[in-house]
Amino acid sequence: MAILSDADRRDLWAQYMRDISDLREPCAINKTDLRAALDAMDQWVSDNQASFNAAIPLPARTALTSSQKARGLMLVISKRFVKGV
Amino acid sequence: MANTRAELFPESAHFPSSNFPQVVTVNARPALAYDASTDETAYWTAFAPQGLTGTMNATVTYIMASATSGSARWGVQVEAVTDGDALDLDATTSFDTANTGGATVPGTAGYIDQLAITLTNADSIAAGDYVRFAVYRDADGTSGTDDATGDAYLLGVEFRDGV
Repeated sequence: MAILSDADRRDLWAQYMRDISDLREPCAINKTDLRAALDAMDQWVSDNQASFNAAIPLPARTALTSSQKARGLMLVISKRFVKGV
Repeated sequence: MANTRAELFPESAHFPSSNFPQVVTVNARPALAYDASTDETAYWTAFAPQGLTGTMNATVTYIMASATSGSARWGVQVEAVTDGDALDLDATTSFDTANTGGATVPGTAGYIDQLAITLTNADSIAAGDYVRFAVYRDADGTSGTDDATGDAYLLGVEFRDGV
């Protein structure tokens, strides 16, 4: 899967900053470094999509759509790491 | 000695049709939430007071929602309309060149910072003029570095003369 477009990455970066602002969550890095971090996360997702898919057992691996698998991953990450979600 | 000539608070702001800060309350304090990724502008209207003299500056009072490092960049523009000016107010805006300034944000989010910006470009403001002030965050860093993460909450702007 290709990485996100620059426009999508920018939208994601802007949304991240809005979200942490709404939560009044301190952030110790500047905007530039945050953007670099988010871009790297997107790259990691792209680089590891195949291994992520391989980790999903059958029948889900073939029966779920890509969007459904992504939703599952998002919920797992949120439950594990993100407060307030 | 400097004199306070106007005090601009979030409750009296008005806004362009796009790219404007959200009106929020922060711990029951009214504030304007200026985005970190896009320049946003708010306007205030006043009459230039009698006795206006000397150099003016605008002191922007703000806090950061999240940032504990980096810089925030602000801009202030003045549009001063004098009786008899050939300016069609229902069709035209005529702000003077932006006056900008920046500061390193406080090391704790929520701590106040006050940034004084000299109004070198004040549209030849004179006592009695019908005035609009535009205050924006230069989030894209056109005039200087703005790399503080997250919203900047503007709490108010104080205009002084005789500085």
